[in-house]
Amino acid sequence: MSKLKETILNPILKGNPITVLVLGICSSLAVTVELKGALVMSLSVIVVTGISSLICSLLRNTIPNRVRIIVQLVVVAMMVILVDQVLKAFEATYAIDKQLSVYIGLIITNCIVMGRIEAFALGNKPIPSLLDGLANGVGYGLILLIVAFFRELLGSGTLFGIPVLTQFGYTGNGLVILPPMALIILGCVIWVHRSIDKDLQEK
Amino acid sequence: MNTNSNVYTVIYTTIVVILVAALLAFVASKLGPSQEANEKAETVSQVLTAAQFGDKEHWQQIGNAATLAFFAENVLDNAPVVSVAELKALNYRLKAGEDVAIPVYEFNSGVRVIPVYGAGLWGPVWGYIAVDMADGLRIVGAYFDHEGETPGLGGKIKDDPAFRAEFVGEKIDALTEGNPFDIVKGGSPAGDLEDSKVDAISGATMTSKGLEAALDVWLGAYVKSLPAAAEEEEEPSDE
Repeated sequence: MSKLKETILNPILKGNPITVLVLGICSSLAVTVELKGALVMSLSVIVVTGISSLICSLLRNTIPNRVRIIVQLVVVAMMVILVDQVLKAFEATYAIDKQLSVYIGLIITNCIVMGRIEAFALGNKPIPSLLDGLANGVGYGLILLIVAFFRELLGSGTLFGIPVLTQFGYTGNGLVILPPMALIILGCVIWVHRSIDKDLQEK
Repeated sequence: MNTNSNVYTVIYTTIVVILVAALLAFVASKLGPSQEANEKAETVSQVLTAAQFGDKEHWQQIGNAATLAFFAENVLDNAPVVSVAELKALNYRLKAGEDVAIPVYEFNSGVRVIPVYGAGLWGPVWGYIAVDMADGLRIVGAYFDHEGETPGLGGKIKDDPAFRAEFVGEKIDALTEGNPFDIVKGGSPAGDLEDSKVDAISGATMTSKGLEAALDVWLGAYVKSLPAAAEEEEEPSDE
């Protein structure tokens, strides 16, 4: 049981894919202008990593070793297309899908997805693999939401599109909207994470 | 079983790919109708945004049904909604030199909306140019969309309101055949509204050029379809 617990908690805290493994940086910079987009992106990545890991784990004993990357790629691509199709089909998510545009499709190139399948799912049973995939997606989403929280709050003065700071006469800071600021905020998040968790500090 | 043999590998990958393809085809056919409904509402909201009935967020807030209802109430002659796929088909025929009637929308507010379609850098770019129906050439609004232009560069044709705003007030050039509008570096000097020029997007030359070509083809065909403009055109040459 403790091993299962570690499978779930490790990717969220000590082995967070973004702040510790530094994977999936590109999309965390690109889709964190608004919380809404970041939330949909996070949910999409959680679904894709979770289900892809589950499927690959179920197939792990049958996949020919020489083409395993290709088979993983096909599974991940299938999941990404499914997510994209579902997002496009609902009125509520259609606009967000349009706004995220190419980034939903680019989940396939997110190193976290393939990385977890290759490193974990191919060597573990389906249930732990599913949990590992989901937990990595959550770890990714958590950082995305933290960055998006600061960028939307300081950049537009809103949260989930609802005016917060703008009500007190705050004018959105355009610099925070630009990608370089995402990198700086992300750097701060990594800094805070490392200063809290002593194990992560290099001697 | 030897999972590393060639035969096994070939059969395995074939089966996996066929299964995945079948699943995706099934899902696409099931979700197709609701996706098309969303796309139609999106097209309508873009046309209405170009026609200055409200900004893009407004249509998102009131939802698909209300947007379509508003369109049906205000459009003249019950003009049908022309999808982006249909624009693509028309674009092929236009570029082949065929004499195609451009599907324009006319609204009871005195605005006419002309669709444009062309190739950007990574995929199609399209949009809607709203003109004043009274003279048929003065632009009152514009909205552009794209399939996969680079966010922050070519994507600005859609995301940057300043780019759209540049079109407002400009005049379509009905006199120069084949070049009714320009998107060029520098744009109009001192906000000249008569020169049919707007500023291109820095760092997105291919998208800007693609959009300009789309405007030339579609607005060119639109200008040709104007009877009044043709007469005006002849007058100076007579003198």
